[in-house]
Amino acid sequence: MDIVVSVKTNLDLQMIRIKNREPVLEAIPYKTGDLDKNAVEAALQLRDAVGDSKVIALTVAESNRKVRETIKEVLAMGADEAVLIVDPALESTDQAGVARTLAAALQKIGSYDLVLFGEGSSDDYSGQVGPRVAELLGVPQIGYARKITAGGAGVLVERSMDEFIETLEAPLPAVLTVVSEINEPRIPSLMNIMKAGKKPTEEWSLADLGLDPAAVASSCETLSNLAEEQDRKHVMLEGGAVDQAAGLVNALLKEGILGR
Amino acid sequence: MDFRYSTEQELFRQGVREWATKNLEPRARQIDKDEDGIPEDIVQGLVDLGVFGVTIPEELGGCAVPGEELIYAMIAVHEIARADLSMSTPVYTLLTIGWSYIVNKFGTQQLREEVLPAAAAGKAFVGINTTEPGGGSDLARIKTTGFKSDGHYVLNGEKAYVSGPKECMKLGAPSGHCSLVVTDPSTGHKGLTFIYIPAHLDGISWTVYEDMGRMGLSTGGWLYKDAKVPEYCLLGEEGKGFYHVMEGFNAARVLVAAACLGGAEKGLEISAEYSTQRKMFGRPLIKYEATSFEMVNDWMQLDMLKLNLLRGAWMIGYESQNPGTFSRKDINKVIATVKCLSPTLGHEVARHGMMYHGAFGYTKETPLEMMLRGIMSYEVGAEGGLNVMRGIIARDLWGEAANPFRADD
Ligand SMILES: Cc1cc2nc3c(=O)[nH]c(=O)nc-3n(C[C@H](O)[C@H](O)[C@H](O)COP(=O)(O)OP(=O)(O)OC[C@H]3O[C@@H](n4cnc5c(N)ncnc54)[C@H](O)[C@@H]3O)c2cc1C
Repeated sequence: MDIVVSVKTNLDLQMIRIKNREPVLEAIPYKTGDLDKNAVEAALQLRDAVGDSKVIALTVAESNRKVRETIKEVLAMGADEAVLIVDPALESTDQAGVARTLAAALQKIGSYDLVLFGEGSSDDYSGQVGPRVAELLGVPQIGYARKITAGGAGVLVERSMDEFIETLEAPLPAVLTVVSEINEPRIPSLMNIMKAGKKPTEEWSLADLGLDPAAVASSCETLSNLAEEQDRKHVMLEGGAVDQAAGLVNALLKEGILGR
Repeated sequence: MDFRYSTEQELFRQGVREWATKNLEPRARQIDKDEDGIPEDIVQGLVDLGVFGVTIPEELGGCAVPGEELIYAMIAVHEIARADLSMSTPVYTLLTIGWSYIVNKFGTQQLREEVLPAAAAGKAFVGINTTEPGGGSDLARIKTTGFKSDGHYVLNGEKAYVSGPKECMKLGAPSGHCSLVVTDPSTGHKGLTFIYIPAHLDGISWTVYEDMGRMGLSTGGWLYKDAKVPEYCLLGEEGKGFYHVMEGFNAARVLVAAACLGGAEKGLEISAEYSTQRKMFGRPLIKYEATSFEMVNDWMQLDMLKLNLLRGAWMIGYESQNPGTFSRKDINKVIATVKCLSPTLGHEVARHGMMYHGAFGYTKETPLEMMLRGIMSYEVGAEGGLNVMRGIIARDLWGEAANPFRADD
């Protein structure tokens, strides 16, 4: 089974300071997306369970420098090969442009049975790229996978919906996105870190994929990315602990949060 | 020139940080309290990351990057110390990886094959065993003898304040210590030989002391009565033991400093966080310069020492790949500087942090008191007393006239 995992490098969100309600993006280190690491781990486990399989890490970025560490990290985790799509035109792309690039890259890679994504990226978290790629390739997609096994029509997937778990099967090739509960990504050992540099890595530009820079240009403009502000109710409960508990239950009932 | 870690070094650092923060940090207090050694799952976790293999070549079960052994070791120890401020786990780790480096460098093929794969797998403790009841600073005057007879060094004498007796017993053979013994009493320090003493030979017995800190790692004394160490346990050349052990100390001292600086870095973070939250007289404690400037002073020292430590670790590795680049004195001075200043900085950071925490800092709810107890082991003497470091620097700067280690008479 040939498994391609899409991985994204984002800014280390924990290192970002907020000044005047804007993030300060200067000199922030890059980090491999958290959910992408879950996807890599899922791919590795599936590869080892199925046997005679390989895992290719695929990433898209405007510069080689940005993704160098990410690629080494996922190769050190155990991916067999890496494909980088690097092009300055990707600096100002959006989810649609990234999806177009990935789909073109997958077509150039040619043979793939499964394409894995995180359910969303650690920074934008739009959750669009996986589904868009599936549409562009015209293959089935299953989102929010919490368990993946080879079987059924090709792949058997348990997926986490808010209130229930659904089990689906899909023929191959298929696109899956995974949730964080699917596994705990492994931390690479020094031995594997040192081996990572020797694994086959390809680097392609948009031209290599037959894509015009205009095809990946962003069609969206970000006006603001502030979180929605919520008004607090500022209800203070009086009395001792017992009275306060009763008051809290009443208030929650009134809001319809309890006793639905 | 480039002052950053390579991609590989940085990935390794991040991995050890992630693992240690999650798995070791929540257990550190318990490790110090239980006095029952480093839990097996912690050791196994470090083995899985490759930490115990950083100084051991691949063909012997390790994952050493030639010339960068001590850089990877330093990175690992620094990160482990951040997570276990009692210093138990970092010191346990640094002893085995530091002295494995020396066994690999000076050991016979048979000894390397016997000891190093087990050390890399976390199944052997490898330590250092030079101090005697008569003193640890003046190694040229040690008394333990190891006269050669019938293909063995026959040991008689006593060693004291040595880390790892319980650990050797728990893990079994081939655990043991690099040690210095007198093989030719007529020639002073030229009659000293460096050997590996497997802890489980007949004629060896041991005791355990009750220490002030670093409670997850035991210290004790060793008694040798006609204990026969096989000849293949020789490290380096007979009669050159004094010089070999000094080379070993340079490697170990890099890691000692890494442990102290990792602890200091974390201690400062704890202090900064607390003094930002804690309000007194209407302002956070950190707003008062008596607090923040003291923390800045500690931070400045920390930053300079980290840089000097990198330089020392790099020099040893570079010299191993390009012999003749640096003199022994060049390396000694850099290493003695970090071994002299890092433990004191760690102690100061812990003490200052305890003061910012007030009475809370005197409780076992913060890790600062156990950091203070643990790091002091490196001030009173482990891997060389502070004044011995000053003596090394004086000697290597100003020559025999300033050498406190050689009496005129
Ligand atoms: C927790 C712990 C673990 C240890 N683990 C080990 C181990 O694993 N293996 C091992 O071999 N040893 C170990 N040691 C012992 C350590 O190496 C010695 O403490 C150290 O070498 C100093 O020796 P000493 O304690 O005998 O002090 P001494 O040699 O008696 O020195 C006493 C004091 O005098 C100072 N001094 C010495 N010479 C001079 C001078 N010329 N001028 C001014 N001051 C001087 C020293 O700095 C020291 O402060 C450990 C010690 C501790 C505390």
